[in-house]
Amino acid sequence: MAECRTLMSEEKQHKNVPVYEFMDVNSKEFHVGIFRDLWLDVLNPEVYSYSDTASEIEDVGFIEEVGIEPKTLEELKSICSVDSLRSGHEDTDNVPSDLHLSTLKLRKRRQDYKETLTRDTVDRHEVYANEMEMIYVGKKPDNLRDLIPEGEIILTFNIMYPILFQRFKHVRAYQTLQVLGSQKLSDLRDAICCVSDLQVFGEFSSTPDMVPQFISKDHYKSAFFFFNGTFFNDTRFPECQDISITTQEWARSRDFPEFKTAKMEDTSFYDLKMKVGFPYLYTHQGDCEHVVILTDVRLVHQDDCLDIKLYPLITHKHRVVTRKCSVCHLYISRWITTNDAFAPTEPCLFCDQCFRMFHYDDKGNKLGDFLAYAYVDPGTFN
Amino acid sequence: MARKKVCEYYWAPFKSDCEELLGRFQQTESVRFEEFSAIWREMDFSAVFFGTHSDHEKRSFTQLTFTIAYRYILPPYSFQIRVGSLYMIYGLYNTQLTWPKEKIRIALKDWYDVQKLITDAKTCQHLDVVYIFKRLLSSKAFCFTAMPKKLTFEGSGRVQHNVNEEFRDRRDRVAELASTEMLEEIANVHGHYERLKKSATPTSSGVTLLNLTYSVKKCASEYQQWQDKTAAAKDKSSKEETTQKSESSSRADLLAAIKSKTYGQVSKGTKSRRHRRVEMVTSDPGTDEALFSQKKRPPSLRTRTWQNFGKPGQPEPTKEWLLSVMEEDKTALKRKEQRRFKW
Repeated sequence: MAECRTLMSEEKQHKNVPVYEFMDVNSKEFHVGIFRDLWLDVLNPEVYSYSDTASEIEDVGFIEEVGIEPKTLEELKSICSVDSLRSGHEDTDNVPSDLHLSTLKLRKRRQDYKETLTRDTVDRHEVYANEMEMIYVGKKPDNLRDLIPEGEIILTFNIMYPILFQRFKHVRAYQTLQVLGSQKLSDLRDAICCVSDLQVFGEFSSTPDMVPQFISKDHYKSAFFFFNGTFFNDTRFPECQDISITTQEWARSRDFPEFKTAKMEDTSFYDLKMKVGFPYLYTHQGDCEHVVILTDVRLVHQDDCLDIKLYPLITHKHRVVTRKCSVCHLYISRWITTNDAFAPTEPCLFCDQCFRMFHYDDKGNKLGDFLAYAYVDPGTFN
Repeated sequence: MARKKVCEYYWAPFKSDCEELLGRFQQTESVRFEEFSAIWREMDFSAVFFGTHSDHEKRSFTQLTFTIAYRYILPPYSFQIRVGSLYMIYGLYNTQLTWPKEKIRIALKDWYDVQKLITDAKTCQHLDVVYIFKRLLSSKAFCFTAMPKKLTFEGSGRVQHNVNEEFRDRRDRVAELASTEMLEEIANVHGHYERLKKSATPTSSGVTLLNLTYSVKKCASEYQQWQDKTAAAKDKSSKEETTQKSESSSRADLLAAIKSKTYGQVSKGTKSRRHRRVEMVTSDPGTDEALFSQKKRPPSLRTRTWQNFGKPGQPEPTKEWLLSVMEEDKTALKRKEQRRFKW
């Protein structure tokens, strides 16, 4: 019986240690919960705890473990101290003048080039790349009950914005979300910000003041995640339908392997089997598809944000340029018109004031022939 | 196509700096930290972080240094190189200029190898190795992850990993075969067999070898001694020869490497290097950035789809326009010739 158990645990270990399926591309499938257990088995709890052990206790532990004299330890400390590695140069902002490291030679060349430019335009995305992450680093909660337990797993997901083929050629825009292993898939779903959730339907050229307040997010609540052959559907609300049925029926008629279904709000990330670095799918609003990539799975660290209420945490968001009104170029556009004889382009964007001035007279009558829709700018999440 | 990130250009220069440092450390033929820190100070290695102005660049460069240095801690490198890379990681972690400090990512599959290294060092009483590893653990320098780096399915992350032949460990095939576990098993099976034989048939002629495990052990130790002797002799003679042969063999190596990459086969070392093991060079089709020069890229998936399936000569339906410029002005939408830094 004991042999049986050790065999099973060895098999578990063998299958659930993540290795590369394709080098540098993605890993093989592994069970997240078992992966966490494997790590916790191998590590001393002090290593991943949030508090630091006092140095005297560490010294005593080291002496006992290796079996040496305290004098030898003192010697070791002085030899291996960090001061022996410090550079002679004080100035860290400039490359030192005596270069023989190739890294420094490259950096000096780039620095010299930058000095020849009259105006150094800095990449806006690079400047703000770490901004959101840095806000949350090391944040401790006020209430100790909200502290993340030690040994929790953090998963990092890159969620691409929906594909617009012209824009997708140059930049793959994405947002990065961090979730805890104990959270449910539905928490991740709620945290994803997508512009299509805010769309308002209807043509309002005759009734510009009657724009309804409900948005697509409230109307169409169905969504699913597709991980490794299983569709995880959102079944929390009565309006939610299983939108994966169409795909499943199509697949069944065409000789594909069977796809399984599960509930999003009952599955936590610990129950999932995932491949790191492999693109998966998230669909909502019926046809708004996002590619989802799990980039990183790791144990929580002392320096991470430790407040459980802030998770799922957004650490990176791609900033989209907001589209301004075609007329004034000042205000953010709220209306989009088609078939408009007055507008220079088809379709055309207007802010609220310009729209009313352009298309309606003083009494509020519609001038000319046009169709107007409410426009939600993709840059609303900036 | 995503543009290559700034920190990616530093991959090759930093890798060569690491190899220089480890090469010098290998020549000292010791594993003491004092020797290592002397070389570090001489090369002024902590200056590797100087000169970056933006915080984001500092962080991504620091993470890059860890990724590169981390590879040398794993097998198949020799014990000295692995210890050297542990010292290097310790040095890079403590001399980095970012705060909060960037952590060193260590994957579960590599943790077992690293633990083995530390236990080997403990048995050989290399106390500085053990102490430095304990210091890194207690200062929470490690981040325990699934994979050694973040995998974002981008083409830019795929770089060729070529194991440096100079640093590779000498494979001890005989010792691997005649390891302690294997010898124990052989002893158990042999004993069991002898007992069965005694109970089954009365005194029979000795067909089987007596003292099998002892003779295997003796053979293995004799081989080890012979190997050590010949290796020492070879090192002395090869040091004289390497200077002459280095030029011609490096060019031959380069040609052989290019040929093997195009055909995806095992590359044969040149004749002068026959005593070294052959190395399997695998390449991802279409993502081999080292082969292609900067300007000529392999055709993207989109171009290939259009070539194979698309209707030729179909004009793009989307027209770009600019409200502030006259329609007749064709030059407005063309990108101006931008002066870029040549990496």
